[in-house]
Amino acid sequence: MSTQTLEGILERVGSLPPLPDTLYRLVGLVSDPSSTLEQIVAAVRYDQAFTADVLRLCNSAYFGLTRSVDSLDDAIKLLGTTKVLQLVIATQSRSMLSRPQTGYGLPAGALFAHSVGVAIAAQALGRRLRISEGGALFTAGLLHDVGKVVLNEFVANEYIEIAARVAREKLSFAEAEEQVLGFSHPEVGARLGETWNLPPAIVRAIRYHHAPLTCAAPDALVDAIHVADAVCILLGIGGGDDGLHYRACPEVMARHGLTESDVEMIGSEVISETKSVRAVLSSMQGN
Amino acid sequence: MVVVDIADVAVCKDPDAALITYSLGSCIGVAIHDPVAKVAGLLHYMLPESSIAPEKAKASPAMFADTGLPKLFRSAYELGAVKGRLVVKVAGGSQLLDDNGTFNIGKRNYLALRKILWKNGVMIKAEDVGGAISRTLRVDVATGHTTIRSRNQETPL
Repeated sequence: MSTQTLEGILERVGSLPPLPDTLYRLVGLVSDPSSTLEQIVAAVRYDQAFTADVLRLCNSAYFGLTRSVDSLDDAIKLLGTTKVLQLVIATQSRSMLSRPQTGYGLPAGALFAHSVGVAIAAQALGRRLRISEGGALFTAGLLHDVGKVVLNEFVANEYIEIAARVAREKLSFAEAEEQVLGFSHPEVGARLGETWNLPPAIVRAIRYHHAPLTCAAPDALVDAIHVADAVCILLGIGGGDDGLHYRACPEVMARHGLTESDVEMIGSEVISETKSVRAVLSSMQGN
Repeated sequence: MVVVDIADVAVCKDPDAALITYSLGSCIGVAIHDPVAKVAGLLHYMLPESSIAPEKAKASPAMFADTGLPKLFRSAYELGAVKGRLVVKVAGGSQLLDDNGTFNIGKRNYLALRKILWKNGVMIKAEDVGGAISRTLRVDVATGHTTIRSRNQETPL
């Protein structure tokens, strides 16, 4: 059994890049439905790399615009804040999420692919469940597994014991992490989110994404991330050695009236959309 | 090495090549090989029936068992493969823990495959399906040698 404390682990997070400043401000703004276009533009106007990203993105084939976009205001007006900013948030978090996570058997790019898949699936679910939000689904989906980045080396050291408990006691991978290390990647991710001052709703979704029923009150964002994650794990989108060793909560499906065919439809939407989003992201700078 | 993505299919006649597909969860990978024509094919489909999204099936037939399997076999025939000689191997169809039915795509994917192959008089030579693991499936074009890789361990199929 590990003698590490969660605080000890979080203190050693020095190797993790801080959340880029612009990304940090954006996550707060797009998660708040009352944010205005002016506030968002003001928050990012002076970040030249960001502006360059937005313009490159807007002028990419993905959006199929007939004229070229050459200012930030123009870009956001033309395409809508949410779409553009979400893709930019994804770009900015890519370097953090793209590194190989060998403890989880995730090669370079796999965690990012999974994160983008969950973000897209969460939005598809949001439309189906009519969850009103201002971008929190996408952001929470993108960051739900950020704890794996921190916990990776600890999982690597204890992998044999974690895998043995998964096999022997039919634990989920996250449950085995908790038993062996004292905490699991959702808890570590949530603590990291708190130190980054992410909005509480997003921290909640990170913390409870594998155990939505332990959340104090039913929470649509938590439920959506839980289901979106289950769909992407099932389909092997950015899967690692933890494989399909996770649980999908039937109560969550029941309380939203989600069925087998909803799971299939969301899965097919995710595959179609992930391919085009990843094509855009890979054409952008920063990697 | 030809990488076959999820909801994708490829056939190949290049004797130096291999076809590979990664991260099969509930999806099914179907590898076929004609040892005489030396043609291999690999399909990575994700859902059993195209009837849930016919427009998606039109755009990417390899997404579904009932549209992907005909595409796999026909593409191999175009390269000279003959049905009676094809060796068929299958991997994937995993499930989440404690699956309650809503997420049992893996099982239904496998049943759809069995039904379609049976109707067409095609036998499965070898398979590695079910459980909660993620698998990588690889088939060698020249020899038909097929392997499964899961958690860093490679085994022949």
